[in-house]
Amino acid sequence: MSLQGEDGATVELADGIEHQVAMVMDLNKCIGCQTCTVACKKLWTEGGGREYMYWNNVETKPGRGYPRDWEEKGGGFASAEQAGQEDVHGEREVGELPSEEDWGRPWEFNHGEIFYDGSDESLRPQGEPPEWGPNWDEDQGAGEYPNSYYFYLPRICNHCTHPSCAEACPRKALYKREEDGIVLVDQERCRGYRYCVEGCPYNKVHFNVLKKKSEKCIFCYPRKEAEGPDDEVRPPACASECPPQLRLVGFLDDEDGPIYKLVEEYGVALRLHPEFHTQPNVYYVPPFAPPQHTEDGETVDVDRIPRPYLEELFGEDVHDALDTIERHRDRVRRGEDSELMDLLTTQDLARQYRLEAFE
Amino acid sequence: MTAGRDRRSVATALAALVLLTAAAVAPALVGARPANEVPVTDLPEAGDSLSNPTADAWGQTPAKEIALASAPSSAPNANDTSIEAVSVRAARTDGRLAVRLRWADPTRDTNFTGNQSATPHVNSFGDAAAIQLPTNASANPGIAMGSAQTPVNVWYWSGPTAGQELIAGGPGTSTMVNQQVSTSATYRDGHWYVTFVRNESIQTANRTDFTANEDVQVAFAVWNGSNAERAGQKAVSEWQYFPFGPGPQGPPYEAILWAVAGLALVVVIVATVIGIRRT
Ligand code: SF4
Ligand code: SF4
Repeated sequence: MSLQGEDGATVELADGIEHQVAMVMDLNKCIGCQTCTVACKKLWTEGGGREYMYWNNVETKPGRGYPRDWEEKGGGFASAEQAGQEDVHGEREVGELPSEEDWGRPWEFNHGEIFYDGSDESLRPQGEPPEWGPNWDEDQGAGEYPNSYYFYLPRICNHCTHPSCAEACPRKALYKREEDGIVLVDQERCRGYRYCVEGCPYNKVHFNVLKKKSEKCIFCYPRKEAEGPDDEVRPPACASECPPQLRLVGFLDDEDGPIYKLVEEYGVALRLHPEFHTQPNVYYVPPFAPPQHTEDGETVDVDRIPRPYLEELFGEDVHDALDTIERHRDRVRRGEDSELMDLLTTQDLARQYRLEAFE
Repeated sequence: MTAGRDRRSVATALAALVLLTAAAVAPALVGARPANEVPVTDLPEAGDSLSNPTADAWGQTPAKEIALASAPSSAPNANDTSIEAVSVRAARTDGRLAVRLRWADPTRDTNFTGNQSATPHVNSFGDAAAIQLPTNASANPGIAMGSAQTPVNVWYWSGPTAGQELIAGGPGTSTMVNQQVSTSATYRDGHWYVTFVRNESIQTANRTDFTANEDVQVAFAVWNGSNAERAGQKAVSEWQYFPFGPGPQGPPYEAILWAVAGLALVVVIVATVIGIRRT
């Protein structure tokens, strides 16, 4: 289904979906503090077989990510045509199941000994010394001094328009909610086959070894539905807890909302790995970095983060996106108005979070 | 045509009739077991011991070797299955039906290590086996998990989850139901021995009842966890049957087919004889 906006832009929604929740993350603001990760973990994945899970994770790019080398593990669709087919079961790109070591095992720390038993050991993971973990390659990045570079990439389930996780499940245990396109695992239907884990190219479905079922990011739907004690509609915890408030939350098809404008009108918020063809609904404003320096500290007009690398992550549209942002930055520098810069720097929560647009 | 030749041809026709009838009925009478029959032995003394997969009582039952092949399925790697045969024994005791499956699998994939429960890894799968039966004993469901009209009852065992009972109406539809089958498993010398025991009569809807005095179809499936086999990636048998029907042998449709064939022969021969006599 596609909706035609007033300005001629079209929004593609999955068949049978009334509205599509979406999120934009501005990578220029992420400080890698992992507050989002912890907010999510405290809410949804503290125990019961979920110890190793991070529905929201933040990884350093360039880097191997969480789980390790997820970008090379396959999944998704071979082409847009394939993704659009009614039933492509069996024709998807079959992915690889990450191992426990790839995810990183949950570490047990000696908190008790240190804080309560007066031990003077240092705080460290107990048992076998870990050899890998989420964001293990933190801040390593790439490039040569003085032109090394890295940035942070926060990731949640993209609640894709063509979720290959759902397509991969022979029991149709994963589904997109009609009212908002949130992708969920029906815990009654799931029999722990893990085709969804293989099928998601973003590795955003996790397997709970105790429950023997798949589990994943639920876009904090109970918060969206005002199920908290104060009956308030709230954005996902990863968004509302973020110190620099870099996430915008709303509906892709809300033409008055910031997401529609950033994605459809200005084209500055892009999908991560569009070549997986699942059509994610989490969008990223690509990162800028200071230009390169010479050995003597002179600034030269060369991109620090190589454009080919950004293109690898966000596709060809990254060039237009960066150019558009650059143009609008110049406008603001010249003292002119820019709706785009207003959207990207707003501190008005009502503009940033629009989950009641269709109520 | 002379009267003598006439009589001779009648005699020949009658002899042929006798021969043909004998040929038609003989296999049934001599009791050679039809290829798809899974014999069920009455062992009234065995009692609870049959739930032990390696109990001596199982030695008193004939083993039926059943070939397995990859199930037709849209699951990825559906043709990559590794278990080629299952040996099935079945016995009745105290109104219960006990079925034991034995198959070779060099790797034991389960989360039960002795009495210790170890957490399976996120990317490993358990060994498993299942018995499929029509929920309605007189129905003939499709071999691949039945259909909405002819559902199947599945008795399932797996290393990590132990026993489960499922109802399915086609691939991908199996649903767990209140379990009335008890399962037990032993791994020994590179082989799994798994028993399934259930009361023969059942009051619950949508469960196979074995007391209706009719043969009951049954099929078997085995998954090898270390080969990542799960869901439709499984080794399965063709339909077999438990000979619970009234006849000494064969499912009812077989007897009906023989009767029809016999009758047809009689009609043809009688018609021929009458034809010859008239000429
Ligand atoms: S990101 Fe993965 S888990 Fe989430 S909807 Fe897309 S394919 Fe499914
Ligand atoms: S809370 Fe915000 S700034 Fe901190 S890591 Fe998460 S997205 Fe980045």
